[in-house]
Amino acid sequence: MFYRLSGTYHTSYRADRRLWKVPTDRWLVVALLVLGAFAPLYVSPLYLGSYVLPWVIWSAAALSLTLLMGLAGQLHFGFAAVMAIGAYASIHLTRAGIPFEISLLLSGLIAAVIGAVFGGAALRVKGLYLVMATLAMQYLVDWVVVNVPWISGGAHATLRTPAVSFLLLPLDSLAARYWLALGWAVLLTVFFMNVKRSSFGRALVAIRDKDFAAAVIGVDPFRTKLMAFFTSSFMGGVTGAILAFCFYRAVTPEQFGFNVSIQLVAMVLVGGLGSVIGSWLGAGFVLLAPIFLTNIISALAATGWVPVSQNFLSHLPLMIYGAMIIGFLLLEPLGLAKIYDNIRKYFLVWPFRHARS
Amino acid sequence: MTDAVLECRNVTRRFGGVVALKDVSIAVARGEIFGLVGPNGSGKTTLVNAITGFYPPQQGQILLDGQPINGMKPFRIADRGVARTFQNVALFHGMSVLDNILMGRHIYMKPNPLASLFYPWWAAREETAHRRKVEEVIDLLQLAPARDEYVDVIPLGLQKRVELARALCAEPRLLVLDEPMAGMNQEEKEYMVRFILDAQDALGLTVLIIEHHMDVVTALCDRVLVLNNGQQIAQGPAREAIADPRVIEAYIGKPRDAA
Repeated sequence: MFYRLSGTYHTSYRADRRLWKVPTDRWLVVALLVLGAFAPLYVSPLYLGSYVLPWVIWSAAALSLTLLMGLAGQLHFGFAAVMAIGAYASIHLTRAGIPFEISLLLSGLIAAVIGAVFGGAALRVKGLYLVMATLAMQYLVDWVVVNVPWISGGAHATLRTPAVSFLLLPLDSLAARYWLALGWAVLLTVFFMNVKRSSFGRALVAIRDKDFAAAVIGVDPFRTKLMAFFTSSFMGGVTGAILAFCFYRAVTPEQFGFNVSIQLVAMVLVGGLGSVIGSWLGAGFVLLAPIFLTNIISALAATGWVPVSQNFLSHLPLMIYGAMIIGFLLLEPLGLAKIYDNIRKYFLVWPFRHARS
Repeated sequence: MTDAVLECRNVTRRFGGVVALKDVSIAVARGEIFGLVGPNGSGKTTLVNAITGFYPPQQGQILLDGQPINGMKPFRIADRGVARTFQNVALFHGMSVLDNILMGRHIYMKPNPLASLFYPWWAAREETAHRRKVEEVIDLLQLAPARDEYVDVIPLGLQKRVELARALCAEPRLLVLDEPMAGMNQEEKEYMVRFILDAQDALGLTVLIIEHHMDVVTALCDRVLVLNNGQQIAQGPAREAIADPRVIEAYIGKPRDAA
């Protein structure tokens, strides 16, 4: 239909490895980029600030986590702690007078080092035991942040982010903050896709799929896993800093609690492990589905179509949301990314039913 | 024998009270196809695991081109130029055939997140350079039609060939094949023998191969070692070794047992 494709034929190895081999996909990406870049012009500030901006930032967070969980296969249930390290580090660094651009990088590095240290300690174990070890990281970091006044500024303190500018763009307007977040998310997206088609990504997947076979062709398992923890924590740390500066604009320890880690894992799982588009879709679903469900149901209740008590009404969206997650995972365990892929493949060969892949 | 690629001297490996290998000594000459034969549980795979570093021997020495490699981690031994395949296919299921074979070039690549970030200027060069070698091997083993398939959807015979291709791409000094014909029918076996001989011809390989099918062993191997209960019972040119009375006894028993 709109793909108009009779096959893809490459004449060089480089062309064979390009990211979007189908022209329609390339146009789609350009269109989405343009739509994203000009969003502040046509989306009302309310929607931009409370729906689109968090979606973009959490997509970046989900991408960071899925590098570790999806590609390298290392479960991490304490990723909010990594983001917390990035957020607090960036605030303290900018307050100390370091330029924002550099403090972003440094906060990523600090998160990466701490994340890799925990990862290195945790890597002696696998699977569920690794989950326990990363949970320990979550609680340890939480505890340190809350109980060290030098970091959190006191037991129930809120640290406001100082006014900064990124390169020449002062982050005082919503649009500027959105553009910074979008730029970071796009950078991570491109990075992730490049990882998948280069030797680093292959080594990660090899470790995930069969660690002994990876070792026998020369992949150092420990070093590769550590690199995965380092890279993923760097991405998570910077994302945490951007979350603090662009969205919350003030940080408290509760913003990076255990439930946030679980929510991130949910984004990664619902979207599809190790998938780029899955991270975007998963983050969007987990963030926005409860909001939209609440709006729809309260609108229906206002018209009198849902004759239930107010008490039940407030729980109904959550019930539907939970049922939707279970439904998705039952019908398509590979997540929203796979659903998108199925639809795309259907139209790719339409009006025929099967493609010679 | 001076020009030995692999030399095992009195290799012994125990698992608790079980002696899986006892004083096994072999020397694989450069350019040779050396067979490891023996009934089930005789220690063939244990010897291969000792060589590739999974179960380091408790006694004895393993030398690769005169350098001791016993006690090294498997990935370091791979780095020294030992490639192997597994009895049960050990491919990476989340990757295409091409990516699996590209993994074989891993010891020549420098995986690095920054290289990935600057893909067009950095990682792409590496990819293209190694892709040439990979395509040579794909041509050699006739894998081109399956290049973009995912490995879990292709038949077993093809999977075993992909695994061979992955090992060949490392341009190994020593190629270790653990039952490359397991689960294959006669035709697939004959193809595989042809591919192994072709690859040896084209790449000048030294091969250590575990095999049960005696027709394959006599067709491929210059020399064989026969193991039984962890001990070597015969060693020599293929036909002579497997005609040894002790070998026949190990496989099918003594004449008087048959009565």
